[in-house]
Amino acid sequence: MDVTLLKITALFYLLATGSFVIYLVSLRDFFSRLSTSLLLAGFLGHTAALGVHFFQPGGYSTAAQFREALSLYSWLMVAVYLLVQLKYRLTVLGSFIAPLAFLMSLGAFASGAGIGELPAGLKSYWLPVHVTLAFLGNSVFALASGVSLMYLLQEHQLKNKKMTVLQKRFPSLEALDRFNYVFLVWGFPLMTLGIITGSLLARVQWGDYWSWDPRQITSAITWLLYGALLQARIAGGWRGRKVALLTIVGFAVVLGYFLWGGSVFPSRHRGTFE
Amino acid sequence: MREEKILIVGLNHDTAPVEVRERVAFDRTGLTESLRRLHSLPSVEEGVILSTCNRVEVVAASAREQAAFAEIRNFLAAQESVKGDSGLEGHLYEYSGDAAVRHLFRVAASLDSMVLGEPQVLGQLKEYYVAAHEAGTVGAILHRLFHRSFSVAKRVRTETGIGSGAVSVSSVAVDLAEQIFERLDDKGVMLIGAGEMGDLVARHLQRVGVSSLMVTNRTFERAVELADQFRGTPVRFEDFHRYLTMADLVVGCTSSPEVLLQRETVEKVLKERKQKAMFFIDLGERRNFDPRINGLDNVYLYNIDDLKGVAEQNLQERSNEAQKAEEIVEEEVGGFLRWLDSLDQVPTIVALRQKVEEIRRGELEKSLATSLKGLSEKERQALEDMTSAMVSKILHAPITRLKQQPEDRDEALYIAALKKLFDLEEK
Repeated sequence: MDVTLLKITALFYLLATGSFVIYLVSLRDFFSRLSTSLLLAGFLGHTAALGVHFFQPGGYSTAAQFREALSLYSWLMVAVYLLVQLKYRLTVLGSFIAPLAFLMSLGAFASGAGIGELPAGLKSYWLPVHVTLAFLGNSVFALASGVSLMYLLQEHQLKNKKMTVLQKRFPSLEALDRFNYVFLVWGFPLMTLGIITGSLLARVQWGDYWSWDPRQITSAITWLLYGALLQARIAGGWRGRKVALLTIVGFAVVLGYFLWGGSVFPSRHRGTFE
Repeated sequence: MREEKILIVGLNHDTAPVEVRERVAFDRTGLTESLRRLHSLPSVEEGVILSTCNRVEVVAASAREQAAFAEIRNFLAAQESVKGDSGLEGHLYEYSGDAAVRHLFRVAASLDSMVLGEPQVLGQLKEYYVAAHEAGTVGAILHRLFHRSFSVAKRVRTETGIGSGAVSVSSVAVDLAEQIFERLDDKGVMLIGAGEMGDLVARHLQRVGVSSLMVTNRTFERAVELADQFRGTPVRFEDFHRYLTMADLVVGCTSSPEVLLQRETVEKVLKERKQKAMFFIDLGERRNFDPRINGLDNVYLYNIDDLKGVAEQNLQERSNEAQKAEEIVEEEVGGFLRWLDSLDQVPTIVALRQKVEEIRRGELEKSLATSLKGLSEKERQALEDMTSAMVSKILHAPITRLKQQPEDRDEALYIAALKKLFDLEEK
């Protein structure tokens, strides 16, 4: 992977983070455009880095290695956010996505080098499909967690009657709750497809669709959690704080395992930190 | 001969009580007439009158500061119908030069307002400027000054938070509603009781789009009456609990000594509403709603003290922002003064002024030495004042024209003509 390009990417994500913070606390709309532009610049650099990587010999191995996975995941997350920004003008959400993208791309070039070797059996067309779907689902959940975090902050302010500068930028609780729903509705099917393609690959590689691998277990937990959450929203009329909290918990499980879980509960699954 | 200066004479909410402000205030219908009278004062070359409920001010451009101040003071005193000059004694302030520019910029940016950051003053300023412009009492200097003040106000508004955050109880309530609900036009409001504060909040909510309003009162006739006023639906007091499921905002404004809504009731209502958020606004002197309501998920309860507290916080926030605004004003004052200075450095204008001033002085001295020899010191001074006023009035129009269009292609033509006509030689 091209480290120079990745460094440039990380730099732009950092600049975007700074700009988003200024956007949050100042009242100048100029920073809305600046932040989005910086994030977009980082995204383009990131795209170039991934492109260079892809056309390297053996680069096709998408996400066999932790750093590749991290890089691909943050790239997809920024892509999804930029699309959401295009449609909903949700600049505040960027202030949660940009720092996350920065830390991930920082982690990507800080951890190890080279191109991951793929076991022969995994050189299937299903691999990129699985990786893309799973990461897309998790990207949408990252956004869902972002709006949920905003919801909790906003709700806390309103309940405690202490206003801060944030209230001027945050959307209403009702809007944030609606976005939580929108993201769950999009994220859940993507995640489901990611798990299905994952178990197909597991059958090829490990000989079984399901083998109680820690990676599979955490995926199943989040899948059940988000499924239950969606069900509770639609049928049970759940909304607001509880949903926001559980959304964040679900995402924390995904991210936590992705970042640290591999070293605690070793998995045969590639692309987690080992 | 001195250059033209910007002057302001006026009074505001700080320096004069409302009775005085009312007496000095200018009638909108007679404004053109008043502006012409102002403009006809011997030392006033340009003038704008500003008259709102919080301030009455005259902004003028004049080459003779002291004389102009006195004339404008008298002009304002004449305005007062009841008392004479002494009535304004101690209420008027006077600014000239950079202080005047600063004052006008601060007024436009709402730094001088009674409620810091209120947005109306800028509109009023524009209105009075336009009136003066139409009456023909504005020249190059005030034209530029006012336009500059409008853009200063705009800059302050976009770059500082001076206008942000509601500072009255009813606007705080609406602000909070907008932080809870994405839109208000599809929300239902229940107004309980007929207090003045409740009225205000209900009206404010309707202004921002709330269309469905239920009104209830212990006496049903009163509820019907109120519902008529608000084009809402009257609800019998005994029944109002049943209609709460349709209410997203509940405004309590009764003087009832007992609590009207208990936490348990609201819990039941919420269940029926599938946990859709509710906003309770308790404006009663004694609590109308059980304070424990705020502990429920998706429910927000604010009482009158909470609302006042938020308003207070916002006001504090505004005064913190005012510091930034003052810095912007200071920066702009500097820029404006530099522009003003640059105007007077146009060589032709300087030469023209000098030439005419030399003539005035020469003729005056000649007369004072011969035919007007016996004049007293006071009469001499009056003559001096009168001739200076004449000279600056005569020169005002041509100089204004020259200053107005610095980029005009005709400018070179004007300058050439002026040089020829007045036989000017630049140094």
